[in-house]
Amino acid sequence: MTVSTPWRLVVRRLSLIAVLLMAGLLLSQLTVAQSDPDKEAGFAVPAVDADIWRQVRSGDTGPNYRDSRADSNYNLVNASGETWRQWRNQWVSPYGLIVLGGMLAMIAIFYVIFGRKALDEPRTGRKLLRWTVLDRSLHWSVATLFLVLAVTGLNLLYGKFVFKPLFGDALWASMISGSKLLHNYLGPIFSILLIIVLAKFLKHNLPKKHDWEWFKKGGGLIGKGHVDAGFANGGEKVWYWLLASVGLLVIASGFVLDFPNYGQARDTMQWANLLHAVAALGLTAVAFGHIYIGTLGTEGSIEGMSTGYVDETWAKEHHNLWYEEVKDSARDETELASENVQRHPPDNPATDRPG
Amino acid sequence: MRLTRKSDMSSATGLGISRRQFLKRSGAATGGVAAVGFMGNTMMQRADADDGKTPVLDAPVETKRTVCSHCSVGCGVYADVQEGVWTRQEPAFDHPFNRGAHCAKGASLRYHGHSNRRLKYPMKLVGGEWQRLSWDEAIEEIGDKVRELTDQHGPDSIYWLGSAKFNNEQAYLMRKFAALAGTNNTDHQARICHSTTVAGVANTWGYGAMTNSLNDLQNSRSIMFIGSNPSEAHPVAMQHILLAKEKSQCNIIVVDPRFTRTAAKADSYVRIRPGSDVAFIWGLLWHIFENGWEDQEYIDQRVYAMDDVREEVSNFPPDVIENITGVPEDLMYDTAKRLADNRPGCVVWCMGGTQHTTGNNNTRAYCILELALGNIGKSGGGANIFRGHDNVQGATDLGLMSHSLPGYYGLAEGAWQHWASVWDLDYEWLESRFDQTEYADGKPMHSNGITVSRWVDGVLEQEEDISQRTQLKAMFYWGHAVNSQTRGPEMQKAMQQLDMMVVVDPYPTVASVMHGRTDGVYLLPAATQFETYGSVTATNRALQWRDRVIEPMFESKPDHEIMYLLAQKLGFANELCKNIEVNGTEPLIEDITREFNRGMWTVGYTGQSPERLKTHQQNWHTFSFETTQAQGGPADGDYYGMPWPCWGNPEMGHPGTPILYDTSKPVSEGGLTFRARFGVEHDGTDILADGSYSRNSELDDGYPEFTADMLKDLGWWDDLTDEEKQAADGRNWKTDLSGGIQRVVIAHECAPFGNAKARCNVWTFPDPIPKHREPLYTSRRDLVENYPTWDDVSSHYRLPTLYRSIQEKDMTGDYPIILTSGRLVEYEGGGEETRSMSWLAELQQEMFVEINPALANDLVIQEGDMVWVEGAEGGRVRVKAMVTPRVAREVVFMPFHFGGIFQGENLESLYPEGAAPYVLGEAANTATTYGYDSVTQMQETKCTLCRIEKAS
Amino acid sequence: MAQMKFMCDAERCIECNGCVTACKNANEVEWGVQRRRVVTLNDGESDEVSISVACMHCDDAPCMAVCPTDCFYKTDDGIVLHDKDLCIGCGYCLYACPFGAPQFPKQNAFGERGKMDKCTFCAGGPADSKEEEYEKYGANRIAEGKLPLCAEMCSTKALLAGDAQTIADIFRQRVVQRGHEDGAWSGNARADADNLAYDAAQEG
Repeated sequence: MTVSTPWRLVVRRLSLIAVLLMAGLLLSQLTVAQSDPDKEAGFAVPAVDADIWRQVRSGDTGPNYRDSRADSNYNLVNASGETWRQWRNQWVSPYGLIVLGGMLAMIAIFYVIFGRKALDEPRTGRKLLRWTVLDRSLHWSVATLFLVLAVTGLNLLYGKFVFKPLFGDALWASMISGSKLLHNYLGPIFSILLIIVLAKFLKHNLPKKHDWEWFKKGGGLIGKGHVDAGFANGGEKVWYWLLASVGLLVIASGFVLDFPNYGQARDTMQWANLLHAVAALGLTAVAFGHIYIGTLGTEGSIEGMSTGYVDETWAKEHHNLWYEEVKDSARDETELASENVQRHPPDNPATDRPG
Repeated sequence: MRLTRKSDMSSATGLGISRRQFLKRSGAATGGVAAVGFMGNTMMQRADADDGKTPVLDAPVETKRTVCSHCSVGCGVYADVQEGVWTRQEPAFDHPFNRGAHCAKGASLRYHGHSNRRLKYPMKLVGGEWQRLSWDEAIEEIGDKVRELTDQHGPDSIYWLGSAKFNNEQAYLMRKFAALAGTNNTDHQARICHSTTVAGVANTWGYGAMTNSLNDLQNSRSIMFIGSNPSEAHPVAMQHILLAKEKSQCNIIVVDPRFTRTAAKADSYVRIRPGSDVAFIWGLLWHIFENGWEDQEYIDQRVYAMDDVREEVSNFPPDVIENITGVPEDLMYDTAKRLADNRPGCVVWCMGGTQHTTGNNNTRAYCILELALGNIGKSGGGANIFRGHDNVQGATDLGLMSHSLPGYYGLAEGAWQHWASVWDLDYEWLESRFDQTEYADGKPMHSNGITVSRWVDGVLEQEEDISQRTQLKAMFYWGHAVNSQTRGPEMQKAMQQLDMMVVVDPYPTVASVMHGRTDGVYLLPAATQFETYGSVTATNRALQWRDRVIEPMFESKPDHEIMYLLAQKLGFANELCKNIEVNGTEPLIEDITREFNRGMWTVGYTGQSPERLKTHQQNWHTFSFETTQAQGGPADGDYYGMPWPCWGNPEMGHPGTPILYDTSKPVSEGGLTFRARFGVEHDGTDILADGSYSRNSELDDGYPEFTADMLKDLGWWDDLTDEEKQAADGRNWKTDLSGGIQRVVIAHECAPFGNAKARCNVWTFPDPIPKHREPLYTSRRDLVENYPTWDDVSSHYRLPTLYRSIQEKDMTGDYPIILTSGRLVEYEGGGEETRSMSWLAELQQEMFVEINPALANDLVIQEGDMVWVEGAEGGRVRVKAMVTPRVAREVVFMPFHFGGIFQGENLESLYPEGAAPYVLGEAANTATTYGYDSVTQMQETKCTLCRIEKAS
Repeated sequence: MAQMKFMCDAERCIECNGCVTACKNANEVEWGVQRRRVVTLNDGESDEVSISVACMHCDDAPCMAVCPTDCFYKTDDGIVLHDKDLCIGCGYCLYACPFGAPQFPKQNAFGERGKMDKCTFCAGGPADSKEEEYEKYGANRIAEGKLPLCAEMCSTKALLAGDAQTIADIFRQRVVQRGHEDGAWSGNARADADNLAYDAAQEG
């Protein structure tokens, strides 16, 4: 079975979107002039003396600050608002695009230069169970949610430059409100699942000595021969630990933004928003790499995550240490195929057993 | 001013309506909200959040001209009405008082046309439950009870507590109603507002009202606010005040125990100890006399007994003043110099000056200061007394008081005869309505009735100590907020002893929930002033005509109609409306105006006919914003609203008197002299004016008030027409119903009331020269010996009144902190009406107490903590602490507009369904204490003692 | 074309909150949302100052720049309006706004805030009918040649609204008057300087 064709399509589309976004960004860069809230405030509230004015601009309220709004915790002037806007609009938004676009470009170049990493040896036809149903369901749930969140997130950041002019207000309205709803409601589900995944895969991803070798050899790109790798190779561990750090950051900042009912301050939400955007954009970029390697870039990988089984050859070449551990449980392809018709693969394979 | 401050807020707290209340009140409609409640903080706290916006209509717009009903500034309003719905409120840029401007209350007037927290139909309390009645049933039952009580205990057993929220016609009719019911037990909020002003000022120079106008403040070179905070109480007046500051560099001085919003705009702020006003004024005068800053020529010509003042003031050198008031010498000197250097200047006072046991002394001291500076009777000068309610001036003038008939005629036989003839009623019949027994104060017909401030004691006092047949048995709270009165716990006790309570009001008011009764309470829904029409008198004595904006909402009826219905039931409707047309059961407003026009000669409410008032109303744009005088147009030359005295009858066309006692104008054009109210001599000294007279006056010296005989002596008698002669013979300027005497006197450019000196010595008062006396509950025990209060009085306004026996007890051990009270801009009076308006209620959701940071630290209290404030008589309120430098370390402040929570107990469930205000809170006056002015029975709200503890 | 602006003369603002309720009166915004607020700095101290704040209709409006749905637009009069049909309640405009103008009817889990609401300079907003416009955005006084009710009703004429040039002139004149002994309070200049909530209709 082959899944590479649809993925290729996705990648193509993504790159198309990236180009469009780049174009939109350039446009927006032209229109975003430097705003001057000081000027606005200076016009709006003249007749206060210099001391008071300094106080107002600093956003510092002092103990005897009162507001006629019953539940307001806003200063007279939101001193950090403009900073947030500048960070978001002048840095995060354009550089996010550059990072995403750059990642796609690098993948494309890599693909052009190195092509697909095919198996060196022919397949043995004997299969090893690599991902249980639970693993796969978790992975694909998290992956799907990740993609939905990425797409809706990107829409929140860039969509207005592309789709609003493209589709008109009516369609855009439902598109963007749908994006926000999906993002806000799926985010917490993603968070929970990701944490489960991280917990579940932790033991495979504990750093080992041979991982260092793996990095030194660029995962096998540098020099000849295969590098040592256990269940997870060095690259996968990096991805894991990125998710375990930056991913959790995204989750935490996301919760700050998603649950304003806990009374967090406007300033807190500004920072959360910046962290969330930067971290999520970074993860998205890395996810492009993960997706590439897992699908188009490496022969045989996607089989593991789709069927649960990998070929002995694939295991030997990519995860030799793991192969050594589990080679005895290899089963014949045909046997599995016939079994598959009758029942699902066992839920509790050797790979999951401790020791 | 809001309670919550930035640092302690989370959006989940700080709301007056709790989530629980919200859910409880709004019921099923908010199920969805409840479902997500645990994760959400919807801001939609408003209970009727689903009642929607005003419909957008295409129907033709009718624009009504009305006047704000929230304070006495008298702001004009354009109300747009479509299909009977008040759809828009537009600023009246052409109105001479406010030029379209409004404070929070005025800017939300339209809500009156949409408020659904109203009392909707007559109700009575049966077994603790509110039962709906028809109007007929209600009038029948209430009337029967009134009859029964009258038969059993005499007419004085029923108290007719009226309102400053009435228009002039209703206030007048209410007083007449009480008279015909045979009692003087009627009063209104002026008693607890400016009664000490009216008494003190009128006894100084003739009339007890604001001498100049808000507009004229623009001409002041200095304005001293003492016990007045217009930024919150009269915000639109600040427009004129700030213009004075900007136009003529007017010096604004604020003297107050509290750093108010007005103080924030002042050039100089002076913090005094509550209750030290007289001493403070004497301290200023000490410097004025010391430096020869007084206007000696003015004093010689127009002031009597300033030397007596000099003598008293000499006892108050700077060190004594600092000891009493807390103001250091240099600040006193600076203040005195500002006043002396910047003339004409004026003094403005409000409740901070009046609501004291020594209120009458305070108000007279202020007057004396202005007399010494020669500021009275001048543009830019004056004693500018800002009145409170929209029509408290009018209701006072129209005699809705226990000690007078309309027009300050008093209660003597002559006064009754005057009004009997105006009413076209037989004097003997009137007399027969009253209890004929003679009590300690005399016959009830001629003795001052119980005051609104004391009705509680009128119920609770021993029968033999009351100067009438029995205690009060029934109370009518006709437009009154009981929580604006002191001594809450005792009030509750009094309510429980009554046979019947009747609340007549657009809103249920605190009276309907705090009584702790299960029966014998009636609620009658009254219409607001936007649902009726008539005249209203602003603080500057100008009368304005209000249009009816909308028809009475729900089943409410205008007050004058309710009076008629009750009179009908009680059997004197024909007498009440003898010369007043009645349509159905509603007396014709214009006829009531015309009737009081015929009798109000003393204060010149005689020239303002409904027709002239309506002409003014329709021509706002022709009146000047600077002078209030019409420039061209149908009212050419008139001052807006014909500020009283508007002499003679309407045909005479007197323009009104914009500035009292202003001798620079002829009387016919609004000039005036000081009134010769106190005879022609005192202790052998001539007290008529000396060489001072109004412009063009044919008498160029002082003269007494005019009588028919005086006209004859002067040879002016034949200026009268034959008819006038017939009516005027044997009468004087006050009792000549033809107006002839006034017409002829003014033709000779004299003041009908004479031309005398103002007097600093009011020999009829307990303190002829104002004296500093320590408050009953003073924190300065060391001063009591030198400045003690008066001895107890066995009967004053029919009741024993305590002074010394209260001051004697040293309460400072348990109650070391001075408690004062005041108002907020968003609410008015007891606040039931304004707290029922969501646009306003949203701005002030919690009752609070202001505590100085140092005191808060001493008490270990932080901003936002709940605290118990316990008054020196044991009344306790549970309120939120606001830590602020507005108040001094030894003083705490509470706003008095809250109600519906009583000593920690929430009374919300006791309101008739759907009629509870949006915001409830402890009433400040639950914690206030005993203390009544020695002349007027004004209550003491501004200076008592308390202690504060953190509530658990 | 006029560039509409608000200006609050802090020398005159007395925190009476008239502007706040005038806004309620004109627009009937629900409980919890106050398009205009008054803040007081140094309350109770000698340098106490109060300032009325709402949306200032910035030239380069931060809310517009950060809105993910691009729901804001600027009218020819320089008024910043927004389309509630497009608003998703994300709160970004609130993060960015210098004046705390954007408000949301609720503040619930999952970022459920409802549609953002802010001052419209009494210029309504995009809608198919008058009824819908009033329901969603409140009054459209600008269309009737009137100015925002808050400024028109300001108790001391502290809050000015109108063309930026005009109100700046009014303010400048006041400053001159304050600095001079009765200076500039003569002749017609006075009428102009004093006529603060002037009628936009007269401006043509």
